[in-house]
Amino acid sequence: MRNPFAKRVDYQALDERELVALAKDDMEAFGELYERFMQKIYSYIYYRTGNAHDAEDLTAKVFFRALSHIGAYVDKGAPFQAWLYRIAHNLVANWHRDQGRRKIIALDDYVAHSLKSDAPDRLTEEREEQDQLMQALRRLPDDRQQLILLKFVEQMSNAEIGEIMGRTEGAIKSLYHRTLLALREEMEIDLTSDRNRRLDGSEG
Amino acid sequence: MQELVDVITTSMQSGDGVESLIAKADAPPDELNEYVNIIQALQTSLVPQEPSADFSDRLRADLLDRDAGLPSRFRQMPARVQVAAVLAIFFGCVLFVLRRIFGSEPPGEIQEEAVVTPL
Repeated sequence: MRNPFAKRVDYQALDERELVALAKDDMEAFGELYERFMQKIYSYIYYRTGNAHDAEDLTAKVFFRALSHIGAYVDKGAPFQAWLYRIAHNLVANWHRDQGRRKIIALDDYVAHSLKSDAPDRLTEEREEQDQLMQALRRLPDDRQQLILLKFVEQMSNAEIGEIMGRTEGAIKSLYHRTLLALREEMEIDLTSDRNRRLDGSEG
Repeated sequence: MQELVDVITTSMQSGDGVESLIAKADAPPDELNEYVNIIQALQTSLVPQEPSADFSDRLRADLLDRDAGLPSRFRQMPARVQVAAVLAIFFGCVLFVLRRIFGSEPPGEIQEEAVVTPL
């Protein structure tokens, strides 16, 4: 029997703007937004918190908050995901403040498929290098971490990153350059302290 | 330099070589190679993460169930239930109106009796 009251909408075919407008009072539309952005938000939070458990917890909070505030969402021309990333960024900042600590990223979960070499020695070396890089990254200020994650994990353009971070494309370019310099310095500090530790060990 | 670093990054992300960019640039190749190494390391380390399917499904269900308003709940009902609900509401309204027009007040005696009956 055909359902005469059913509203047939192909949510997947809708563009972001139409979907957001519908999602204010249509849960199926919100469900489609969830499908489109959940993985991105999770990925971002995962790298900011360093573990899957907190990433899941905060991802859930982001979408519950988005659901309860979407009625008041005003489209100002920026993509919807910019709004979601801003919620995620604020929640992560609160999380860091509440935790009062900065966890070292859990490399075990993803290093296996990102390492290139099969040789055990080279694998260990690559793993150490990645570990060092992630530690250096996590010592950077929040906005710099955010920029690097959006650029490399989400492969966003400077313009898209600018919309999320509320800066111009030029400002993002400049911040990116300074971030790479800072990252290089951080890694050099790590290398020097590693070398000193090894020297101390061999002398002792 | 920031323009050059940006161009190098974009080129590496799209899988193109950067040798020609470095050769053409005014900056010292050693300095540029240091940037290339960091960008390469970031590209290798930072890969998208996926939550478990279980978490993803559970969260979706929690979100959609929590806020399912009356209109969307109604739309999700089977057609027969929707027709029955519409008819029930319609006849309920008709009955209510008829009772208001032709309805009988309860007898006064019974009301008084109810008030004075001790508990």
